[in-house]
Amino acid sequence: MTAVLDPAPLDVLTLLEEVWESFVGADEPLLPRSLTPGHPETRHHAPEAGAWWSASITITGTWSGTVTIELPATAAEAVTRRMLAVDLAGPDDVADAIGELVNMVGGNIKAALPDPTSLSLPVVAAGRVAHPSDTVEVCRVEAVWADRPVRVLVHAHHSTGRDHA
Amino acid sequence: MRALVIDDSRVMRNILRRTLADLGFEIAEAGHGREALDLMEAGLRPDVCLIDWNMPVMDGYQFVVEVRRHPGWRNVTLMMVTTESGHNQIVKALAAGAHEYVIKPFTPDAIAEKLQLLGLVPQEVPA
Repeated sequence: MTAVLDPAPLDVLTLLEEVWESFVGADEPLLPRSLTPGHPETRHHAPEAGAWWSASITITGTWSGTVTIELPATAAEAVTRRMLAVDLAGPDDVADAIGELVNMVGGNIKAALPDPTSLSLPVVAAGRVAHPSDTVEVCRVEAVWADRPVRVLVHAHHSTGRDHA
Repeated sequence: MRALVIDDSRVMRNILRRTLADLGFEIAEAGHGREALDLMEAGLRPDVCLIDWNMPVMDGYQFVVEVRRHPGWRNVTLMMVTTESGHNQIVKALAAGAHEYVIKPFTPDAIAEKLQLLGLVPQEVPA
């Protein structure tokens, strides 16, 4: 079985930047953020202040895993207001907006994988999603937008024939 | 010109609605393919449908197939607007009867350009 490369952080960052520029706006760019090894936020279950939103989408096929976007509630609400061009956004709006963001990032990650692969509908949570125990984190992109962190995590299923990019 | 936007994301429908309104379209919306078919069976006659692929109830590909089966809807232009960007998906949708394919993320200019190529908006759109 030919190993399928895991998504590479630089590719995922590029996708995230494209999605952000198209739908959130280019006037306040999303910027990559470096975290030094051992930084509390690099740990899987690191405690983080305040409320968060998460959205996750599953890819199944030649490579199987999940793509998750996490961001603080204040950032999620601000992103939603920009996407909708409104002054106020409710929780349903935030769930819809964050779900669409992960749909676009996940869909474009899927496009780089060999066929056949399929994409699930997004799952959105107020909080941070728990990742299944049979997956391993293979890619993490840390960024900052409007002084708030934005994170993309890619988890691969152990059973997928895979290799690192 | 009348456009039917079919996407399960209200945010995406909102973004497309703003883009199409700027181009002078009247806009109707549906949250999935079945809802869009219901609108058309009830008499809605869009000039163009902008169609997401991954939706609950009925996906965009199945919607294209259903529209192309209907003899009274042959003049409806079908444009996929989706994250499904694999070559096989694009070929499958075009073979089923879609006229154009736009991959998310897109810019308003990209939508306008495709609609111009389809002859659905004039080449020069008032600012």
